[in-house]
Amino acid sequence: MRVFELLRYEGRNRVRGSIYLSIAMSLLAAIVIWVYPSFSESFDDIDEQFLQAYPDEIMALFDVQTMATLEGFLAFELYIFGWIILLGLYIAYLAAGTIADDVERGRMDILLAMPISRARVVAEKFGALAVPIVIVNVVTPVVVYVSAELVDEPLSAMDLVAVHALSIPYLFACAGIGLVASVAVDRTSIAQRLALGIVFGLFMLESLLEETSYEEVGLLSPTRYYDPNEILLESTYDLVSVGALLVMTAAFLVASQLWFTRRDIG
Amino acid sequence: MAAIELEGLTKEYGEVVANDDVSFTVERGEIFGYLGPNGAGKTTTIRLLLGFISPTAGGGRILGRDITDERELIEAKRRIGYLPDDPQFDESATGREVLEVHAGIKGDERSDELLELFDPPLDRPIREYSHGNVRKLGLVTTFMHDPELVILDEPTSGLDPLMKQRFADFVRAERDRGLTLFFSSHILGEVRRLCDRVGIIRAGNLVTVEPIDALLHRSGKVVRVVTADSVPRSTFEDGLEGVHDLEVGGGDALDDAAVDAADSSPGGYREHTFTFTGAVDDLLAAVGEYDLVDLTIEEAPLESVFLRFYGGDEGV
Repeated sequence: MRVFELLRYEGRNRVRGSIYLSIAMSLLAAIVIWVYPSFSESFDDIDEQFLQAYPDEIMALFDVQTMATLEGFLAFELYIFGWIILLGLYIAYLAAGTIADDVERGRMDILLAMPISRARVVAEKFGALAVPIVIVNVVTPVVVYVSAELVDEPLSAMDLVAVHALSIPYLFACAGIGLVASVAVDRTSIAQRLALGIVFGLFMLESLLEETSYEEVGLLSPTRYYDPNEILLESTYDLVSVGALLVMTAAFLVASQLWFTRRDIG
Repeated sequence: MAAIELEGLTKEYGEVVANDDVSFTVERGEIFGYLGPNGAGKTTTIRLLLGFISPTAGGGRILGRDITDERELIEAKRRIGYLPDDPQFDESATGREVLEVHAGIKGDERSDELLELFDPPLDRPIREYSHGNVRKLGLVTTFMHDPELVILDEPTSGLDPLMKQRFADFVRAERDRGLTLFFSSHILGEVRRLCDRVGIIRAGNLVTVEPIDALLHRSGKVVRVVTADSVPRSTFEDGLEGVHDLEVGGGDALDDAAVDAADSSPGGYREHTFTFTGAVDDLLAAVGEYDLVDLTIEEAPLESVFLRFYGGDEGV
């Protein structure tokens, strides 16, 4: 057997969609950056005037720190909204389709009749999600960097690379949640809804329970371990959090493999 | 070592017993037909064999490997080809891409040769395939790694008559090369043409396993005798071994009411139709005394064999 045959096949199938995804996210990034100069000129003191207008709960939910700099604006408008929420949900949604769709459509039988273990099927299909996760994080920062130069608000290339690189383990953790849903349920649409619900629910929990006595619950949420503000505003790269996300991802993957290995197909 | 050995294989879904204590052996180099109506549990047995579902009780071996042990089963699967009853491939992939993945995972010994026989449009995406083309592609993926054992679930459904014939010839040639073939079917015509032995399953229970010849022999012949003059009913009913389901007509008793009162008819009948399991020589000796207008001896349709297993006394 050729190594990673399934990974290669699945990965190839994901290239086209990943390019579209990258274009969409790059467009979002370009618009956010294009808007920023006129936005910042509308206020004498953005943080004083603009942020006060939002209820505290919203500020906490989106972890808005400052909009007085492009970094702060991007952290909220692009990375917390676009990456943590939108992309996190989308990747979880994709992952939820990996196993369940093959089972639901009866394709899994032909695959599993071949000499390949179920654990391996799960791992390789999961691994193929690296294609969208990596491509979107390679294309978009280039667009962000160039756009920032064009509006004359240059960004730190190092921080920009970091904010994207560190989102990769975060997105894999979201994919892991989708993967668990995918092996747990036979119907793709249910697996997808489950994955979206869990990822979004964990985001809300983590944000809303912060600074309450239930704060520990947020430890279970991938969003706890990826902080665009910290990276862009303070150039702090928290590698412990990266480790936590990797452990979380591995746990989701192994749990999915064990579950899928033990269950009946179809 | 047998190709397939099942012992007490049982699969329960709640109250429903899809396979109930199924045991049989498929020898190497034979074509084994697994027969039963839809819903009898044929596909369940196949899915248990391939480890897609795990048995509630019992177990088995396939090419000598334990079907409940994934690692062992993977070893066996290198030498197994499988085609489900409704094969599904990635809709967006082309046939060629599908074959490439299969070749990558299990190897490719003979896809070129197979593609001459079954020729799906390889460069088109699967979503444009007709049902028959999906099956053709499926047959190529099933045989391309030159397996020792092939498992086919309802293999000829969706093939046109020409492809069915080509498939039957192909399968027999493969058997002659040493292939073991296990296939399920609810279409009786296929069984006759292909199988060496058959197992019959009904409502999850294996009813019988026997050579197809024995099954056909047991099912007997359908005999129709038309004589110039009336012959007493007892000539065949009592005077000949192996007469079943005798029906009479013609002769003195022309209307239904008279036929119903057959026992009391003194003159007898000119036409007798019955199922015959006795010796043909005896039959010919018995009819030799009469002036024959017509005599036909035909093989009983397998449907009637099935009826015997499925119908029981209720008479389906």
